[in-house]
Amino acid sequence: MQNFKALFLQHTSLTRNHLTPEILLRLVTPSCPLWRSKDSPFEDPFWAFYWPGGQATARYILDNPLIIKDRRVLDVGSGCGATAIAAALRGTKRVLANDIDPVAVMAIKMNAELNNVEVQTDTNNYIGTNCEEFDTILIGDMFYDEDFGNMLFTWLRELASKDKMILVGDPGRHGLTKKRLSQMTLLAQYKMSAENCEENNGFTHTSLWRINK
Amino acid sequence: MARVLVGVKRVIDYAVKIRVKPDKSGVVTDGVKHSMNPFDEIAVEEAVRMKEKKLASEVIAVSCGPTQAQETLRTALAMGADRAIHVEVAGPEYETLQPLHVAKILAKLSQDEKADIVIVGKQAIDDDSNQTAQMTAAILDWPQGTFASKVEKSDSGLTVTREIDGGLEVIKTKLPAVISADLRLNEPRYATLPNIMKAKKKPMKKVSAKDLGVDLAPRIKILSVEDPPVRQAGSIVPDVDTLVAKLKEGGHV
Repeated sequence: MQNFKALFLQHTSLTRNHLTPEILLRLVTPSCPLWRSKDSPFEDPFWAFYWPGGQATARYILDNPLIIKDRRVLDVGSGCGATAIAAALRGTKRVLANDIDPVAVMAIKMNAELNNVEVQTDTNNYIGTNCEEFDTILIGDMFYDEDFGNMLFTWLRELASKDKMILVGDPGRHGLTKKRLSQMTLLAQYKMSAENCEENNGFTHTSLWRINK
Repeated sequence: MARVLVGVKRVIDYAVKIRVKPDKSGVVTDGVKHSMNPFDEIAVEEAVRMKEKKLASEVIAVSCGPTQAQETLRTALAMGADRAIHVEVAGPEYETLQPLHVAKILAKLSQDEKADIVIVGKQAIDDDSNQTAQMTAAILDWPQGTFASKVEKSDSGLTVTREIDGGLEVIKTKLPAVISADLRLNEPRYATLPNIMKAKKKPMKKVSAKDLGVDLAPRIKILSVEDPPVRQAGSIVPDVDTLVAKLKEGGHV
Protein backbone atom coordinates (compact mmCIF):
# COMPACT_ATOMS: atom_id res chain seq x y z
CA MET A 1 0.00 0.00 0.00
CA GLN A 2 2.77 2.42 1.00
CA ASN A 3 4.64 1.50 -2.16
CA PHE A 4 1.53 2.07 -4.27
CA LYS A 5 0.85 5.42 -2.64
CA ALA A 6 4.30 6.70 -3.61
CA LEU A 7 3.94 5.45 -7.21
CA PHE A 8 0.40 6.84 -7.38
CA LEU A 9 1.52 10.29 -6.22
CA GLN A 10 4.49 10.19 -8.59
CA HIS A 11 2.50 9.32 -11.73
CA THR A 12 -0.75 11.25 -11.26
CA SER A 13 -1.73 14.87 -10.84
CA LEU A 14 -4.68 16.69 -9.27
CA THR A 15 -7.37 17.70 -11.72
CA ARG A 16 -10.84 19.20 -11.95
CA ASN A 17 -10.68 19.35 -15.75
CA HIS A 18 -13.68 17.11 -16.47
CA LEU A 19 -17.48 17.19 -16.53
CA THR A 20 -17.71 17.20 -12.71
CA PRO A 21 -15.29 19.91 -11.53
CA GLU A 22 -16.93 19.67 -8.08
CA ILE A 23 -14.92 16.48 -7.67
CA LEU A 24 -11.14 16.72 -7.24
CA LEU A 25 -9.34 13.68 -8.58
CA ARG A 26 -5.83 12.34 -8.86
CA LEU A 27 -5.50 10.97 -12.39
CA VAL A 28 -2.94 10.38 -15.11
CA THR A 29 -3.48 13.58 -17.12
CA PRO A 30 -1.80 14.84 -20.32
CA SER A 31 0.72 16.66 -18.09
CA CYS A 32 1.94 13.30 -16.70
CA PRO A 33 4.68 11.47 -18.64
CA LEU A 34 2.72 8.22 -18.28
CA TRP A 35 -0.13 9.61 -20.42
CA ARG A 36 2.03 9.43 -23.54
CA SER A 37 3.88 6.30 -22.51
CA LYS A 38 3.33 2.83 -23.89
CA ASP A 39 4.90 1.22 -20.81
CA SER A 40 3.12 1.64 -17.53
CA PRO A 41 4.41 0.51 -14.10
CA PHE A 42 0.76 -0.42 -13.42
CA GLU A 43 -0.98 -3.20 -15.26
CA ASP A 44 -3.88 -1.67 -17.24
CA PRO A 45 -4.53 1.24 -14.84
CA PHE A 46 -8.21 1.77 -15.65
CA TRP A 47 -8.43 3.69 -12.36
CA ALA A 48 -5.97 6.28 -13.69
CA PHE A 49 -8.49 7.86 -16.08
CA TYR A 50 -11.94 9.37 -15.70
CA TRP A 51 -13.66 7.63 -18.60
CA PRO A 52 -16.49 9.42 -20.42
CA GLY A 53 -19.11 6.90 -19.25
CA GLY A 54 -18.26 7.58 -15.60
CA GLN A 55 -18.30 11.32 -16.25
CA ALA A 56 -21.83 11.17 -17.70
CA THR A 57 -23.09 9.11 -14.74
CA ALA A 58 -21.49 11.35 -12.12
CA ARG A 59 -22.67 14.56 -13.85
CA TYR A 60 -26.23 13.25 -13.98
CA ILE A 61 -26.21 12.23 -10.32
CA LEU A 62 -24.84 15.60 -9.20
CA ASP A 63 -27.51 17.43 -11.22
CA ASN A 64 -30.38 15.07 -10.34
CA PRO A 65 -29.72 13.93 -6.75
CA LEU A 66 -33.31 12.74 -6.34
CA ILE A 67 -32.57 9.77 -8.56
CA ILE A 68 -30.29 8.29 -5.87
CA LYS A 69 -32.12 9.61 -2.80
CA ASP A 70 -32.44 6.90 -0.11
CA ARG A 71 -30.89 4.43 -2.50
CA ARG A 72 -28.40 1.64 -1.88
CA VAL A 73 -25.96 2.11 -4.73
CA LEU A 74 -23.42 -0.31 -6.18
CA ASP A 75 -20.85 1.24 -8.55
CA VAL A 76 -19.49 -1.70 -10.55
CA GLY A 77 -16.02 -1.24 -12.07
CA SER A 78 -15.62 1.99 -10.15
CA GLY A 79 -12.11 2.75 -11.50
CA CYS A 80 -11.03 6.12 -10.11
CA GLY A 81 -14.16 6.16 -7.92
CA ALA A 82 -15.59 9.45 -9.21
CA THR A 83 -19.13 8.14 -9.79
CA ALA A 84 -19.32 6.62 -6.30
CA ILE A 85 -17.93 9.87 -4.89
CA ALA A 86 -20.68 11.80 -6.73
CA ALA A 87 -23.31 9.56 -5.11
CA ALA A 88 -21.69 10.00 -1.69
CA LEU A 89 -21.57 13.80 -2.14
CA ARG A 90 -25.32 13.81 -2.80
CA GLY A 91 -25.95 11.82 0.35
CA THR A 92 -27.32 8.57 -0.94
CA LYS A 93 -28.21 6.02 1.74
CA ARG A 94 -25.32 3.70 0.98
CA VAL A 95 -22.70 3.56 -1.77
CA LEU A 96 -20.21 0.79 -2.46
CA ALA A 97 -17.41 1.39 -4.96
CA ASN A 98 -16.57 -2.00 -6.38
CA ASP A 99 -13.61 -2.91 -8.60
CA ILE A 100 -12.00 -6.32 -9.04
CA ASP A 101 -8.61 -4.56 -9.31
CA PRO A 102 -7.24 -4.10 -5.76
CA VAL A 103 -5.06 -1.23 -7.03
CA ALA A 104 -8.20 0.60 -8.16
CA VAL A 105 -9.63 0.25 -4.66
CA MET A 106 -6.56 2.02 -3.24
CA ALA A 107 -6.99 4.82 -5.80
CA ILE A 108 -10.72 5.12 -4.96
CA LYS A 109 -9.95 5.51 -1.26
CA MET A 110 -7.43 8.25 -1.92
CA ASN A 111 -9.77 10.09 -4.29
CA ALA A 112 -12.63 9.82 -1.77
CA GLU A 113 -10.37 11.31 0.90
CA LEU A 114 -9.58 14.27 -1.39
CA ASN A 115 -13.33 15.03 -1.47
CA ASN A 116 -13.92 14.45 2.25
CA VAL A 117 -16.38 11.64 1.71
CA GLU A 118 -16.37 8.07 2.88
CA VAL A 119 -16.90 5.45 0.24
CA GLN A 120 -17.12 1.77 1.04
CA THR A 121 -15.03 -0.41 -1.28
CA ASP A 122 -14.60 -4.06 -2.18
CA THR A 123 -13.06 -6.27 -4.86
CA ASN A 124 -15.83 -8.87 -5.22
CA ASN A 125 -17.05 -9.92 -8.63
CA TYR A 126 -20.77 -9.12 -8.56
CA ILE A 127 -21.51 -10.06 -12.15
CA GLY A 128 -24.15 -12.78 -12.20
CA THR A 129 -25.12 -12.28 -8.55
CA ASN A 130 -28.51 -11.12 -7.22
CA CYS A 131 -27.17 -7.91 -5.60
CA GLU A 132 -29.77 -8.24 -2.86
CA GLU A 133 -28.13 -5.54 -0.74
CA PHE A 134 -28.55 -2.96 -3.51
CA ASP A 135 -31.37 -1.35 -5.46
CA THR A 136 -29.28 0.79 -7.81
CA ILE A 137 -26.40 -0.34 -10.05
CA LEU A 138 -24.07 2.11 -11.81
CA ILE A 139 -22.07 0.99 -14.86
CA GLY A 140 -19.54 3.48 -16.22
CA ASP A 141 -17.86 2.78 -19.56
CA MET A 142 -17.77 -0.99 -19.39
CA PHE A 143 -19.05 -1.87 -22.88
CA TYR A 144 -15.64 -1.83 -24.56
CA ASP A 145 -15.20 -5.61 -24.62
CA GLU A 146 -17.38 -7.87 -26.78
CA ASP A 147 -17.45 -11.01 -24.62
CA PHE A 148 -17.63 -9.15 -21.36
CA GLY A 149 -20.39 -6.94 -22.80
CA ASN A 150 -22.55 -10.01 -23.46
CA MET A 151 -22.17 -11.28 -19.93
CA LEU A 152 -22.69 -7.85 -18.44
CA PHE A 153 -25.84 -7.00 -20.40
CA THR A 154 -27.57 -10.31 -19.69
CA TRP A 155 -26.96 -9.80 -15.99
CA LEU A 156 -28.10 -6.16 -16.01
CA ARG A 157 -31.34 -7.01 -17.85
CA GLU A 158 -32.03 -9.68 -15.25
CA LEU A 159 -31.51 -7.16 -12.42
CA ALA A 160 -33.65 -4.55 -14.21
CA SER A 161 -36.48 -7.07 -14.49
CA LYS A 162 -36.28 -7.40 -10.68
CA ASP A 163 -37.03 -3.69 -10.33
CA LYS A 164 -33.47 -2.53 -9.75
CA MET A 165 -32.45 0.77 -11.30
CA ILE A 166 -29.56 0.27 -13.72
CA LEU A 167 -27.77 3.39 -14.99
CA VAL A 168 -25.26 2.99 -17.82
CA GLY A 169 -22.86 5.77 -18.80
CA ASP A 170 -21.07 5.33 -22.11
CA PRO A 171 -19.73 7.33 -25.07
CA GLY A 172 -21.19 4.74 -27.47
CA ARG A 173 -18.54 2.01 -27.52
CA HIS A 174 -19.00 -1.04 -29.74
CA GLY A 175 -20.51 -3.18 -26.97
CA LEU A 176 -23.60 -0.96 -26.92
CA THR A 177 -25.15 -2.47 -30.01
CA LYS A 178 -28.36 -1.16 -31.59
CA LYS A 179 -30.21 -4.10 -30.15
CA ARG A 180 -29.00 -3.33 -26.64
CA LEU A 181 -29.68 0.39 -27.02
CA SER A 182 -33.27 -0.47 -27.97
CA GLN A 183 -33.66 -1.89 -24.45
CA MET A 184 -32.45 1.30 -22.79
CA THR A 185 -33.82 4.83 -22.27
CA LEU A 186 -31.59 7.84 -22.86
CA LEU A 187 -31.56 10.18 -19.84
CA ALA A 188 -28.90 12.72 -20.83
CA GLN A 189 -26.10 13.45 -23.25
CA TYR A 190 -23.02 15.61 -22.61
CA LYS A 191 -20.28 17.01 -24.82
CA MET A 192 -16.92 15.64 -23.71
CA SER A 193 -14.11 18.06 -22.77
CA ALA A 194 -11.28 18.46 -25.29
CA GLU A 195 -8.95 16.58 -22.95
CA ASN A 196 -11.41 13.73 -22.55
CA CYS A 197 -11.79 13.53 -26.34
CA GLU A 198 -8.01 13.14 -26.61
CA GLU A 199 -8.20 10.22 -24.21
CA ASN A 200 -10.97 8.58 -26.21
CA ASN A 201 -10.15 8.96 -29.90
CA GLY A 202 -13.22 8.88 -32.11
CA PHE A 203 -15.69 9.94 -29.39
CA THR A 204 -17.08 13.44 -28.77
CA HIS A 205 -20.20 12.89 -26.61
CA THR A 206 -21.04 10.76 -23.62
CA SER A 207 -24.51 9.64 -22.55
CA LEU A 208 -26.40 8.20 -19.64
CA TRP A 209 -29.00 5.50 -20.18
CA ARG A 210 -31.33 3.59 -17.94
CA ILE A 211 -31.92 -0.06 -18.77
CA ASN A 212 -35.63 -0.76 -19.28
CA LYS A 213 -37.49 -3.16 -17.04
CA MET B 1 -23.27 8.67 -42.43
CA ALA B 2 -20.45 6.97 -44.21
CA ARG B 3 -18.62 3.83 -43.26
CA VAL B 4 -14.88 4.20 -43.85
CA LEU B 5 -12.41 1.41 -44.58
CA VAL B 6 -8.73 2.25 -43.99
CA GLY B 7 -5.81 0.17 -45.25
CA VAL B 8 -2.76 0.02 -42.98
CA LYS B 9 0.55 -1.66 -43.80
CA ARG B 10 3.26 -2.79 -41.41
CA VAL B 11 6.61 -1.65 -42.78
CA ILE B 12 10.19 -1.27 -41.58
CA ASP B 13 10.24 1.81 -39.33
CA TYR B 14 11.16 4.99 -41.20
CA ALA B 15 14.15 5.61 -38.90
CA VAL B 16 15.80 2.22 -39.53
CA LYS B 17 18.86 2.01 -41.78
CA ILE B 18 17.88 -0.42 -44.53
CA ARG B 19 20.24 -3.33 -45.34
CA VAL B 20 20.00 -5.32 -48.57
CA LYS B 21 20.25 -9.11 -48.25
CA PRO B 22 23.55 -10.51 -49.60
CA ASP B 23 21.68 -12.57 -52.24
CA LYS B 24 19.94 -9.39 -53.49
CA SER B 25 16.50 -10.97 -53.12
CA GLY B 26 15.20 -8.21 -50.85
CA VAL B 27 15.99 -6.30 -47.66
CA VAL B 28 16.74 -7.59 -44.17
CA THR B 29 13.55 -7.61 -42.07
CA ASP B 30 14.46 -10.05 -39.25
CA GLY B 31 14.96 -8.32 -35.91
CA VAL B 32 14.27 -4.93 -37.47
CA LYS B 33 11.86 -2.45 -35.88
CA HIS B 34 8.58 -2.19 -37.77
CA SER B 35 5.73 0.30 -37.48
CA MET B 36 2.72 1.57 -39.41
CA ASN B 37 3.48 3.07 -42.81
CA PRO B 38 3.51 6.85 -42.12
CA PHE B 39 1.13 7.62 -45.03
CA ASP B 40 -1.31 5.06 -43.58
CA GLU B 41 -1.17 6.86 -40.21
CA ILE B 42 -2.36 9.94 -42.09
CA ALA B 43 -5.15 7.85 -43.68
CA VAL B 44 -6.30 6.57 -40.26
CA GLU B 45 -6.17 10.09 -38.81
CA GLU B 46 -8.38 11.41 -41.61
CA ALA B 47 -10.91 8.63 -41.11
CA VAL B 48 -11.06 9.20 -37.34
CA ARG B 49 -11.51 12.94 -37.88
CA MET B 50 -14.44 12.14 -40.19
CA LYS B 51 -15.96 10.13 -37.36
CA GLU B 52 -15.37 12.92 -34.86
CA LYS B 53 -17.04 15.39 -37.25
CA LYS B 54 -19.99 12.99 -37.52
CA LEU B 55 -19.32 12.49 -41.24
CA ALA B 56 -18.51 8.83 -40.65
CA SER B 57 -20.39 6.33 -38.52
CA GLU B 58 -17.67 3.71 -38.30
CA VAL B 59 -13.98 3.30 -39.13
CA ILE B 60 -12.71 -0.17 -40.03
CA ALA B 61 -8.95 -0.76 -40.25
CA VAL B 62 -7.62 -3.51 -42.54
CA SER B 63 -4.11 -4.95 -42.74
CA CYS B 64 -2.72 -7.80 -44.86
CA GLY B 65 0.25 -9.68 -43.46
CA PRO B 66 1.55 -12.13 -40.87
CA THR B 67 0.48 -12.22 -37.20
CA GLN B 68 2.52 -9.06 -36.48
CA ALA B 69 0.13 -7.08 -38.70
CA GLN B 70 -2.20 -7.22 -35.67
CA GLU B 71 0.17 -4.84 -33.82
CA THR B 72 -0.29 -2.32 -36.62
CA LEU B 73 -4.06 -2.81 -36.42
CA ARG B 74 -3.98 -2.24 -32.64
CA THR B 75 -2.23 1.07 -33.32
CA ALA B 76 -5.03 2.02 -35.74
CA LEU B 77 -7.60 1.03 -33.09
CA ALA B 78 -5.80 3.15 -30.47
CA MET B 79 -5.88 6.07 -32.90
CA GLY B 80 -9.66 5.72 -32.96
CA ALA B 81 -10.68 3.06 -35.49
CA ASP B 82 -13.70 1.08 -34.25
CA ARG B 83 -12.77 -2.39 -35.40
CA ALA B 84 -10.15 -4.23 -37.39
CA ILE B 85 -9.87 -6.95 -40.00
CA HIS B 86 -6.63 -8.90 -40.20
CA VAL B 87 -6.21 -10.59 -43.57
CA GLU B 88 -3.64 -13.21 -42.71
CA VAL B 89 -0.95 -13.62 -45.37
CA ALA B 90 2.19 -15.38 -44.20
CA GLY B 91 5.34 -17.15 -45.41
CA PRO B 92 6.17 -17.17 -49.12
CA GLU B 93 2.81 -15.61 -50.05
CA TYR B 94 3.64 -12.62 -47.87
CA GLU B 95 7.09 -12.32 -49.50
CA THR B 96 5.42 -11.83 -52.88
CA LEU B 97 2.33 -9.91 -51.79
CA GLN B 98 1.78 -7.13 -54.31
CA PRO B 99 -0.44 -4.03 -54.66
CA LEU B 100 -2.83 -5.85 -57.00
CA HIS B 101 -3.50 -8.49 -54.33
CA VAL B 102 -4.04 -5.87 -51.64
CA ALA B 103 -6.32 -3.88 -53.96
CA LYS B 104 -8.44 -6.99 -54.65
CA ILE B 105 -8.65 -7.69 -50.92
CA LEU B 106 -9.65 -4.09 -50.11
CA ALA B 107 -12.19 -4.09 -52.93
CA LYS B 108 -13.81 -7.30 -51.68
CA LEU B 109 -13.88 -6.13 -48.07
CA SER B 110 -15.33 -2.75 -49.11
CA GLN B 111 -18.25 -4.56 -50.67
CA ASP B 112 -18.66 -7.06 -47.82
CA GLU B 113 -18.57 -4.31 -45.20
CA LYS B 114 -20.66 -1.89 -47.29
CA ALA B 115 -18.00 0.84 -47.07
CA ASP B 116 -18.66 4.25 -48.62
CA ILE B 117 -15.10 5.54 -48.48
CA VAL B 118 -11.77 3.70 -48.71
CA ILE B 119 -8.72 5.63 -47.52
CA VAL B 120 -5.15 4.38 -47.91
CA GLY B 121 -1.74 6.02 -47.74
CA LYS B 122 -0.55 7.22 -51.15
CA GLN B 123 2.31 4.74 -51.01
CA ALA B 124 4.18 2.53 -48.56
CA ILE B 125 7.70 3.62 -47.63
CA ASP B 126 9.11 0.13 -48.20
CA ASP B 127 8.26 -0.62 -51.85
CA ASP B 128 7.06 2.89 -52.88
CA SER B 129 4.62 1.27 -55.31
CA ASN B 130 1.89 3.93 -55.19
CA GLN B 131 -0.64 1.61 -56.82
CA THR B 132 -3.07 0.29 -54.19
CA ALA B 133 -5.55 3.20 -54.16
CA GLN B 134 -5.67 3.42 -57.94
CA MET B 135 -6.11 -0.33 -58.44
CA THR B 136 -8.75 -0.55 -55.70
CA ALA B 137 -10.77 2.22 -57.35
CA ALA B 138 -10.44 0.52 -60.74
CA ILE B 139 -11.55 -2.87 -59.46
CA LEU B 140 -14.57 -1.36 -57.68
CA ASP B 141 -15.24 1.09 -60.54
CA TRP B 142 -15.38 3.90 -57.98
CA PRO B 143 -14.03 7.43 -58.44
CA GLN B 144 -10.63 8.16 -56.88
CA GLY B 145 -9.07 11.19 -55.22
CA THR B 146 -5.38 10.42 -54.99
CA PHE B 147 -2.59 12.41 -53.25
CA ALA B 148 -5.19 14.18 -51.13
CA SER B 149 -4.07 17.15 -49.04
CA LYS B 150 -7.63 18.12 -48.09
CA VAL B 151 -10.88 16.17 -48.02
CA GLU B 152 -14.21 17.91 -47.43
CA LYS B 153 -17.75 16.69 -47.49
CA SER B 154 -19.85 18.27 -50.23
CA ASP B 155 -23.53 17.80 -51.04
CA SER B 156 -23.27 14.80 -53.27
CA GLY B 157 -19.90 13.43 -52.21
CA LEU B 158 -16.40 14.67 -51.46
CA THR B 159 -14.30 17.63 -52.52
CA VAL B 160 -10.68 16.52 -52.66
CA THR B 161 -7.66 18.81 -53.00
CA ARG B 162 -4.87 16.88 -54.74
CA GLU B 163 -1.15 17.56 -54.65
CA ILE B 164 0.00 17.58 -58.26
CA ASP B 165 3.15 18.74 -60.03
CA GLY B 166 3.37 22.51 -59.73
CA GLY B 167 0.30 23.08 -57.59
CA LEU B 168 -3.02 21.81 -56.32
CA GLU B 169 -5.98 20.36 -58.15
CA VAL B 170 -9.48 20.38 -56.67
CA ILE B 171 -11.86 17.65 -57.75
CA LYS B 172 -15.34 16.55 -56.75
CA THR B 173 -16.21 12.90 -56.45
CA LYS B 174 -19.43 11.09 -55.75
CA LEU B 175 -19.62 8.41 -53.11
CA PRO B 176 -18.54 5.68 -52.81
CA ALA B 177 -14.94 6.74 -53.49
CA VAL B 178 -11.31 5.82 -52.89
CA ILE B 179 -8.92 8.38 -51.36
CA SER B 180 -5.14 8.21 -51.03
CA ALA B 181 -3.53 10.35 -48.34
CA ASP B 182 -0.60 12.63 -49.10
CA LEU B 183 1.81 14.04 -46.53
CA ARG B 184 0.07 17.35 -45.88
CA LEU B 185 -3.45 15.97 -45.38
CA ASN B 186 -3.13 16.12 -41.56
CA GLU B 187 -0.79 15.46 -38.66
CA PRO B 188 -1.61 12.07 -37.17
CA ARG B 189 -2.10 11.80 -33.42
CA TYR B 190 0.00 9.58 -31.19
CA ALA B 191 -1.53 6.51 -29.60
CA THR B 192 -1.64 7.41 -25.89
CA LEU B 193 -2.00 5.16 -22.83
CA PRO B 194 -5.77 5.64 -22.26
CA ASN B 195 -6.45 4.97 -25.94
CA ILE B 196 -4.13 1.96 -26.05
CA MET B 197 -5.87 0.47 -23.01
CA LYS B 198 -9.37 0.78 -24.46
CA ALA B 199 -8.17 -0.42 -27.88
CA LYS B 200 -6.96 -3.77 -26.52
CA LYS B 201 -10.51 -5.10 -26.46
CA LYS B 202 -11.83 -3.63 -29.71
CA PRO B 203 -13.03 -6.33 -32.13
CA MET B 204 -10.47 -7.80 -34.53
CA LYS B 205 -11.61 -10.32 -37.11
CA LYS B 206 -9.13 -12.64 -38.83
CA VAL B 207 -9.76 -13.82 -42.40
CA SER B 208 -7.60 -15.33 -45.15
CA ALA B 209 -7.21 -14.20 -48.74
CA LYS B 210 -8.81 -17.51 -49.69
CA ASP B 211 -11.91 -16.66 -47.62
CA LEU B 212 -12.19 -13.52 -49.73
CA GLY B 213 -11.62 -15.41 -52.98
CA VAL B 214 -8.41 -13.55 -53.81
CA ASP B 215 -5.65 -15.42 -55.64
CA LEU B 216 -2.24 -14.47 -54.28
CA ALA B 217 -0.15 -15.81 -57.17
CA PRO B 218 2.54 -13.18 -57.84
CA ARG B 219 2.20 -11.09 -61.02
CA ILE B 220 5.55 -9.34 -60.65
CA LYS B 221 8.92 -11.05 -60.22
CA ILE B 222 11.65 -9.19 -58.38
CA LEU B 223 14.90 -9.78 -60.26
CA SER B 224 17.30 -7.96 -58.00
CA VAL B 225 17.35 -5.51 -55.08
CA GLU B 226 20.51 -3.40 -54.86
CA ASP B 227 21.94 -0.72 -52.59
CA PRO B 228 21.96 2.79 -54.03
CA PRO B 229 25.37 3.62 -55.54
CA VAL B 230 27.90 4.83 -52.99
CA ARG B 231 28.59 8.54 -53.35
CA GLN B 232 31.96 9.25 -54.97
CA ALA B 233 34.49 11.17 -52.87
CA GLY B 234 34.78 14.88 -53.73
CA SER B 235 37.96 16.94 -54.04
CA ILE B 236 39.03 20.30 -52.65
CA VAL B 237 40.29 22.94 -55.07
CA PRO B 238 42.65 25.76 -53.98
CA ASP B 239 40.81 28.73 -55.57
CA VAL B 240 37.90 29.88 -57.71
CA ASP B 241 39.92 29.90 -60.96
CA THR B 242 40.77 26.23 -60.53
CA LEU B 243 37.11 25.47 -59.73
CA VAL B 244 35.92 27.21 -62.92
CA ALA B 245 38.60 25.44 -64.95
CA LYS B 246 37.58 22.07 -63.51
CA LEU B 247 33.88 22.70 -64.16
CA LYS B 248 34.63 23.66 -67.78
CA GLU B 249 36.80 20.59 -68.17
CA GLY B 250 33.94 18.43 -66.94
CA GLY B 251 31.50 20.16 -69.29
CA HIS B 252 29.34 21.46 -66.39
CA VAL B 253 29.43 25.16 -67.39
